[in-house]
Amino acid sequence: MEVLTRAFVDLNLWSLFVTICNTLITFLIVKHFLFKPLRKMLAAREQEVRDLYAHAETDRREAEAMKRDYTVSISNAKQEAADIVSNAQKRAERHAEQILEQANREATVAKQRAEESIELERKKAMNQMKDEIADLSVMIASKVVEREVKADDHKRLIEDFIDKVG
Amino acid sequence: MNAEITGARVYWESDFTLPLFGHISITETMVNAWVVMLIILGLCLFFTHNLQKIPKGKQALIEKAIEMVDGLIEQNMGKGCQSYAPYIVTLLLSSVLGSLVSLIGLRSVTADLNTTLGWAIMTFCMIIYANIRYKGLGGYLKGFLEPIPVMLPLNILSEIATPVSMSFRHFGNIAGGMVITTLLMGALSALSTALHLPIPLLQIGIPGVLSLYFDLFSGCIQAFIFSMLTMAYVGSAREA
Repeated sequence: MEVLTRAFVDLNLWSLFVTICNTLITFLIVKHFLFKPLRKMLAAREQEVRDLYAHAETDRREAEAMKRDYTVSISNAKQEAADIVSNAQKRAERHAEQILEQANREATVAKQRAEESIELERKKAMNQMKDEIADLSVMIASKVVEREVKADDHKRLIEDFIDKVG
Repeated sequence: MNAEITGARVYWESDFTLPLFGHISITETMVNAWVVMLIILGLCLFFTHNLQKIPKGKQALIEKAIEMVDGLIEQNMGKGCQSYAPYIVTLLLSSVLGSLVSLIGLRSVTADLNTTLGWAIMTFCMIIYANIRYKGLGGYLKGFLEPIPVMLPLNILSEIATPVSMSFRHFGNIAGGMVITTLLMGALSALSTALHLPIPLLQIGIPGVLSLYFDLFSGCIQAFIFSMLTMAYVGSAREA
């Protein structure tokens, strides 16, 4: 059986037409099944990346604002803490001074009272001594004189003497 | 031993005639072209199946490829020509696969002048369309009279030479490779017979080396050249 073939270099309008139709169909296939989904995907990805960047930018701005706020509030807090400490110090100093003052006052009072009581005791002792010395003197004198001396007179004399001496 | 070199086989021819076309037929080229189209459709479906926002594997590959095509188009045609990308990819794929079907024993689609001439005519139409769109019909026609009106016939000739040279370059390379491969196979077969080998042993291996150049390299480079020329011509028409 003879195989029907075309010429090696052959120009045929029908073949050209078929080729052009084939190419157009291939074009539609490539466009519809390759480029359309791919471009769609790429666009979606681009959009997502854009969104991500925009989101990141907002987040960064927010963080910056927060940082600024924090810095301000921290410096405020520091100031407040310093104020509190200095206030406390002042108050403590004042308190200490008050305590000291009170202590001083109390000590003074106590000292005064002690002095008073000492003086009182001394006077008491003095009086007692005076009495005893007077009695002693009377006794000595009566021994020396060997006679009855009227105790009361002598006592008075001696007391006068003692007063004069000391 | 006769090495027969013919055009595409005709599988079917109509008894009736159509106006303009005459007897219509289905040739080897057409059937192989449909095979190529099916392969392209399969590839498109395979590569765009299950697309993810985070690409990996085949998706990264196809995205890189599309990026490269976009880069080539931007480089050769200028910005804002992304809509030409599907056409360029169509040409590239049809041409590469059309040449490489010879590797699976089919006749190359591009070894038929009608195929390459069909593509060249489409490109030519695009060139004319871009010229008229960006220069205006008057500007385009006036371009034929430059630099001096005497150049008119030469300018017309050079314009027509564009699709002719494009198609014959591609056709010639692939068909030439096919001729050389066929001749070589015939020669090796004859040599094997002369050496009284029971089977044509010399046909093993040796044609493969040449096939690397004539089928693989030539097929790829011609597809690339055809696409590049399309971009360059349409791009220069847009620029002017």
